[in-house]
Amino acid sequence: MTKMTLKINGSDHTLEADPNMPLLWAIRDLVGLKGTKYGCGVAQCGACVVHLDGDAIRSCVTKVSRAEGKQVVTIEGLSKNNDHPAQLAWQQLDVPQYGYCHSGQIMSAAVLLREKADPTNQDIDDAMAGNICRCGTYLRIRKAIVLAAELQKKTVKQG
Amino acid sequence: MFWRQSYRKRLSNKGDPGKIRSMKKQPKKLISFNIRAATALTFIIFITAVIASAFRKKEYDPTSAVRFDKINRDSVESAKAFLKVYSVLMSPRCMNCHPAGDVPLQGDDSHLHTMAPKRGIDGKGVYAMKCSNCHQPANTPGLHTPPGNPNWHLPPADMKMVFEGKSAHELAKQLVDPKLNGHKDKKKLIEHAHDGLVLAGWNPGDGRTLPPMSHKEFNKAWLTWLEKGAYAPPKAH
Amino acid sequence: MNNKQVSRRDFLKASAVSGAVFSLGFYLPGSANNAEIISVAEAENYGIELNAWIHIETSGKVTIFSHRSEMGQGVYQAIPQIIAEELEVNLADIHVVFAKGNLKRYGSQNTGGSSTIREFYKILLNLGASAREMLLQAAAGSWGVSKSECYAQGGYVFHKPSGRIESPKRLHYGQLVEAASKLTPPKDYVLKKRSEYKLVGKPLLRLDTPFKTNGTAVFGMDKVLPGMLYAAVERNPRLRGKVKSFDDSQTWKIPGIKHVIKVKMVVFDTYREGIAVVADSTWAAMQGKKALKIEWDDSGFEHLNSEEIYKRQNLALQTQEGLSFKSQGEASEIISASANKIDVVYETPYQYHGCMEPMNCTAYYQEDKLEIWGPTQNPDMVQEYISKDMNIAKEKIIVNLTFLGGGFGRKSFMDYPHEAAVISRQIKAPVQVVWTREDDATQGPFRPGISYRCEGVIKDGKIDAFKYRMAGQNNMHWLTGKKDAVNGSTSEGFLKPYYETIKNLSIRDVPFATPIPTMWWRSVYASTNGFAFESFMDELAADAGRDPLDFRRAHLNDERLHLLIDKMENVSGWKDKKKGEGYGTAITECFSTTVGEVVKVSRQADGSIKIDQVWVVMDCGWYVNPDTIRAQIEGSIVMGLGAATMHEVRFIDGKAVDTNFSTYQMPRITDIPPIQIHIMENDEVAGGVGEPALPPFAPALTNAIFDLTGKRIRKLPFSLASV
Repeated sequence: MTKMTLKINGSDHTLEADPNMPLLWAIRDLVGLKGTKYGCGVAQCGACVVHLDGDAIRSCVTKVSRAEGKQVVTIEGLSKNNDHPAQLAWQQLDVPQYGYCHSGQIMSAAVLLREKADPTNQDIDDAMAGNICRCGTYLRIRKAIVLAAELQKKTVKQG
Repeated sequence: MFWRQSYRKRLSNKGDPGKIRSMKKQPKKLISFNIRAATALTFIIFITAVIASAFRKKEYDPTSAVRFDKINRDSVESAKAFLKVYSVLMSPRCMNCHPAGDVPLQGDDSHLHTMAPKRGIDGKGVYAMKCSNCHQPANTPGLHTPPGNPNWHLPPADMKMVFEGKSAHELAKQLVDPKLNGHKDKKKLIEHAHDGLVLAGWNPGDGRTLPPMSHKEFNKAWLTWLEKGAYAPPKAH
Repeated sequence: MNNKQVSRRDFLKASAVSGAVFSLGFYLPGSANNAEIISVAEAENYGIELNAWIHIETSGKVTIFSHRSEMGQGVYQAIPQIIAEELEVNLADIHVVFAKGNLKRYGSQNTGGSSTIREFYKILLNLGASAREMLLQAAAGSWGVSKSECYAQGGYVFHKPSGRIESPKRLHYGQLVEAASKLTPPKDYVLKKRSEYKLVGKPLLRLDTPFKTNGTAVFGMDKVLPGMLYAAVERNPRLRGKVKSFDDSQTWKIPGIKHVIKVKMVVFDTYREGIAVVADSTWAAMQGKKALKIEWDDSGFEHLNSEEIYKRQNLALQTQEGLSFKSQGEASEIISASANKIDVVYETPYQYHGCMEPMNCTAYYQEDKLEIWGPTQNPDMVQEYISKDMNIAKEKIIVNLTFLGGGFGRKSFMDYPHEAAVISRQIKAPVQVVWTREDDATQGPFRPGISYRCEGVIKDGKIDAFKYRMAGQNNMHWLTGKKDAVNGSTSEGFLKPYYETIKNLSIRDVPFATPIPTMWWRSVYASTNGFAFESFMDELAADAGRDPLDFRRAHLNDERLHLLIDKMENVSGWKDKKKGEGYGTAITECFSTTVGEVVKVSRQADGSIKIDQVWVVMDCGWYVNPDTIRAQIEGSIVMGLGAATMHEVRFIDGKAVDTNFSTYQMPRITDIPPIQIHIMENDEVAGGVGEPALPPFAPALTNAIFDLTGKRIRKLPFSLASV
C-alpha cells in the first residue's frame, strides 16, 4: 500500500492504494467516482476511458501509479454542466440506449474533437473503433461526432 | 572464434542465464565486447588500419570495420544467416508491428488488430487510439491483455519498414537500404538487434509464442548476416 | 427529474411533510387485462396496497413510477410519455422513479418479451385520463362551474368561458391536489384519438439521456452502501459443479481481503458452487479470486464439446420425429413420397448475452430482512427464488431496480442476486458482487444453439408440403423442470398466416438436453428459428423459380403483410437490382410485431462480402416514440450482425472457452452498414419494438449472399471475409 495523491477533475485526492491497482478501480472504489465503467478489464472495450494528461487511456490496464503527478479527467469532469460539445450532441441525438459504454465513448470522442476540429468518417473510425457498444448505437455516435464538431465551432466563434 | 569468446564469457558466469540476461540490459557494452572480439581476433591485421580512420572521425567504431571488410564477405553464409533472421522477423512478435497496411497485426495468427488502431505520422497512433493508451510501460498480466513497452509504436508513416508480405530477398534488400530502414547504417543496424522494442519480442506477455529462436541465436545470425556482407538470399526465398 | 431510488413509503412520508398528495394507481386482481384504477381512499377500503403510479404534490410536482427496468429500450421515457399524454402535463415537469419489485402491486415486472408497452399502454392511458378528469372535477368544483367548461393543459386546469384568451382563469394541478384526492376515479371519460396526440407518436428526446452523458446514471455496479464490501467469486466453470477443496493461502497475502467463503447460487433446479473473496475494493477481490487454488468436483454429469452437441442434435433430427407443435394435412407423407423434396439442416450457435455491464448485484441481509440493489429485469423471480431458497418471506425481500447496463434476457435471472444475498448473510455486511468479464462470458445461461431440419416440396410454384423440426435445448425445460413438454416456442418467428396457405404443414420439436444451462436471449427463439424458417423460405422460392418477395406474398393472405411487403419492395429498390448486387429478404414475427428486412451485398476486391445497405420495415401497430423504435432497430441489426457473423460460445470439456472480447469479438463502429428504417402507420394493437428487428437480419443477409454468389449458408456464424 502506497500513499499517493491523484489530481482528478482538478481536485487532489489523497489515497492509499496498491500501486498496481488499475486506475479504474482507484477512481471507482477509492475516490468514489462511478461514471467510469468496468467492461472487460483487458483494454478491449473502452468503457473505462479517462483522460490522462489529455490522452484517452484505458484505466482498466493503467496502474494507478502511472497517473501520479498527471491530470486525470473522468466523464464527471469533462464539463461542469454536461455541456461539452460531445455531451450536447449525444443528448440532442439521443445516442445512448442503456448507456453503459457512453462515458468511454464520449471521452474518446472528446480527444478526437480536440485533435481534429473537422473529423471525417475515416477519422471517426480511427478514433472510435476501440469503443464497443453492445446496443449498437454506432450510427448515432458517428452522427453525434459530426454534430459535436459543428457545436464546437460555434462555441469557439462565440467564445 | 567470436563465439568461442562469447562461450567463455558464458562459462565464467557459470552458465547462469540470469547473468546473461542481465548483460542484455546493457546492450551497448555487450555489442562493443562482441564486435571487439570478433574483429580483433579474426582480422587483427586489417583492423589496425581501419581503427586509425575510425578514431579520426570520433572514436573506435567497429561497425565501420564490418562495413568495409572485404575479406570477410561470404555470400552463401550471409544469405544463410539471413534466412534465420528472416524466420524471426516474420514471426508474429516482429511482423505484427511491421504491417503492410497502417493497422498493426495482433496475435499468433497475425490478424489485423481488432480495434484497427492507425499508425499515425509518428507511428504512435491517432486521436483516442494512441498505442500507449492501452500498451503500458510493461506487459499487463493475463491472457489477451496488451503487451507493454515504454516506447511501444509502429514505424513512422514516412518510413514504414514493412515486413508483412515480404520475401527474404526483398526484406534483406530493404533492411540495408538506409532510405527504407530508418536511415540506419550498419552500426545502427547492429545496435537495433538490442533495441528495447526488438527485445520486447522475447518478452511477449502471457499466452504469446516466442520468436522461433532465442535472442542470442537471433543476434548471432543477425551479426553473421551483416558481417559476411549482408547478402540477400536469392529471390526464390 | 431525478433517478434516485425512492421508496413509496419514503415518498409518502415526505409528502406528508410538504402537504397533501394526490395519488392514483391501479389494482391488479389478476392480469393486466382487468386492472382497475383506484384512489388512495378506495385502496384503503379494499384493504389493498395502491401501486400509486401517479403522484402529484401540492407544489405541482408530478412523479410517475416506472415499474419496468430501463435497459436501453426506453421504458423510462415511454411510460411517462403515455401518462403525460392523457394527464396533460409537460414531459419535462415529470419526475420518474423506479418502482421496487412488487408483484402484487405492479403485476409482473419481468421486463422481457418486449412486453411493457404492449401489455400496459391501455392501462397507462386510462390512468392518465382518470387523473386528469379528477383534477378537472376538482377545479370545476372550486370555481362552481361545470366540468365540461374546463380543460387541462400543461399541468393547469383552465376555465374556457372566463377571462380573455391570453389570461383565462386557471389553477395549477398542485392547487387541486387536496380536492382531487377526495374524488372517486370516474368511469365516463373519453380517451384521445391518435390524431389528437401531442406526445405519443412523437420522436421526443429521452428523459434518461442526460444522466448517461455525464456519468450520473446509477447502474447496478455504481450502487454504494455505507460499510459495503466487494466480492468476486471463482465459480465452478461447469454448471452443476461443486467445490471439492480450496487453498486460499495466496489470497490472504493480498491487502484488503476480508473473507474467503464457500458460496452457492441457484441455477434453475441445481446449484453452482464457488469460492467468494470479499475485500475492501473490487480490485483486491478480483486479485484474491485469481490467487485461489480450487479443486472442483465435476462428477455426475457430462462434460460436452460443441462438436458433440451438434453431432447429437443433428443425429436426432435424422432419426426422430419428435413432438408435434402443429400438424395439418399430410406433410410427412408428401415429403416421403416426393423425388424432388428439399431436405436441409440449419445450425445456429450458442450465444452469450454480452451486456457491457458485467453481472453484478448488491445485497444487504439483516435480521431476516433482505434488501437488494441490482440491474435486474425480473424482480419477481428474484423474490420468488430467494424466498424459497433462503427461507425469507417474500415481502421481506426488497428489490430495488437500478439502470441496467444491458439485459438482453440475461438479467431476467435469479442466480446473481441469490449469490449476493448468500454472501451478505454469511459475512453479515452489505456486499457488492462483481462478475469479471470472464465470469460473465463463460458461465451462462446461454442462448441455446439449435439445429433445424427443414423439408419441403414445391408443386406448381407453391409450397405443397412443409416440415420443420428443431432440436436444441428448451428454455422452458430449464425453467419448469418438465423435460418432455413440446417447446411452445417452436414456431416463434414464423408468420402465422402461412398456416392458412400451406395446407400440408408440420412443425415439430425434438427434445434435446445437455448440462449446459440456457435461457432467453434477445428475441428468444425467433432469433434462431427465424434463420431456419426464412432461409428455407428462400430455398423454396429458388426451387420454385420465383422472386423471393413474390413467393412470400403468394403464400400470405393478409393485408397488413402485403402492405409491409409492398413497402419493402418500394424502399429497397428490390426490382431495380443491378449487376454485382445481391439482394436478400426475410420477414419474421416476434412479440406481436412483424418486421421485414432487405439486405444488399456486394463482393469486395479482396473477396470479402460487404453489406451495402439494410432496409427495415416494422409493423408494430400503435407506438409511443418512433425515435426509440429506430434506436432499437439499429441496435437489433448490429446485434444480429454479431450473432450471424461473429459469435459462437464454444464448449470444450463442458466449459465455455471464449472468455473475453478478444476471442468473442463484438461488432465495432467500422463494421456497421447503413440502415434505413420505415415504421408502418396504422391503428392496430401495439406490438413489441425492442427485439423483433433482430430475427430477420441473419436470413436476409445469407439470402442476399446466395443471390450474389449462389452459395447457401446454413450454419451460423459465418465470416463475411471468407464466403
